[in-house]
Amino acid sequence: MAASTTATLSLCSSFATHCKISQNLQTPSTYFSFPSLSLSSSHKLSSCSSRRPTFPLLTKSSESDSAVVVEAEFQAPEPEAGPDDSEPAALQVVETPSSEAPKREQLFAVVMIGGRQYIVIPGRFIYTQRLKGANVNDKIVLNKVLLVGTKTSTYIGKPVVTNAAVHAVVEEQGLNDKVVVFKYKKKKNYRRNIGHRQPNTRIRITAVTGYQDYPAVTLES
Amino acid sequence: MNKGKIFKLAKGFRGRAKNCIRIARERVEKALQYSYRDRRTKKRDMRSLWIQRINAGTRIHGVNYGNFMHGLMKENIQLNRKVLSELSMHEPHSFKSLVDISRSAFPGNKNVVPAPQKKGLQILV
Repeated sequence: MAASTTATLSLCSSFATHCKISQNLQTPSTYFSFPSLSLSSSHKLSSCSSRRPTFPLLTKSSESDSAVVVEAEFQAPEPEAGPDDSEPAALQVVETPSSEAPKREQLFAVVMIGGRQYIVIPGRFIYTQRLKGANVNDKIVLNKVLLVGTKTSTYIGKPVVTNAAVHAVVEEQGLNDKVVVFKYKKKKNYRRNIGHRQPNTRIRITAVTGYQDYPAVTLES
Repeated sequence: MNKGKIFKLAKGFRGRAKNCIRIARERVEKALQYSYRDRRTKKRDMRSLWIQRINAGTRIHGVNYGNFMHGLMKENIQLNRKVLSELSMHEPHSFKSLVDISRSAFPGNKNVVPAPQKKGLQILV
């Protein structure tokens, strides 16, 4: 349990941040008192792992590509856990604290934003290209939904799942980490040193709706 | 403070390249050039990795990458390779349904059966 907890925390930075934010909102008093700091941190750990159980396979994902996507650590490739027989032990270990956490519908969607595709789960945030004209705490509806997957069926869009919408809230309009663009030509006395920060927007996904009427492929799970 | 910045970028370099300014400056310039070049090659490498993963995932079901993508293009499914590789790793059932769609869309692929599994030394036991 401890090993899987530390593994989950180390592998998914975006999820850990999300965990931290919600914890601070719920327990502001414990944040300030020193002796209970260890309590709050362990509580964070346990609550993080309690959120985790529905997506155990997520920890296995080598998210170098997820880093590229979220690049934001681009995108958050967080698909839900399919019933995979190869990981029964991990599921059992992580599932025991899941009864404490509020049940969340297990589904994911593939949405296209700014020319890039992201795998999206309600409750998590992703970093996208800067959305012009969106202010903080704006509600956003994303219509280009290419695939919706629930626990029992998949809705594959050709190319889009009709009438499906992903609802999200703009959290923050910030900048990516600085990238140093250094151009150099040898023996020609040419060097240019430029820093670049790409604007991005962090949006938190709240819900996926409108996919139920689309012809689905029922999985043999 | 140019020297300070150079030494900050030279952390972890080998030998005198992290301590002596003349050598560090050269190595840091080279490192920055490599990072400029590799930001472009990273995109190529990632795409190649995704294709390898998709290939592995589809061959389990008896279809190879080329036919799989051809079938998806025919069906006008516009999932990109990044998402497809993620699905092949973490969503095996959804990926299998995608492979089935592709197989039915691409004529000539209908009766493909996965190659019979080669038996190991266990048959001797």
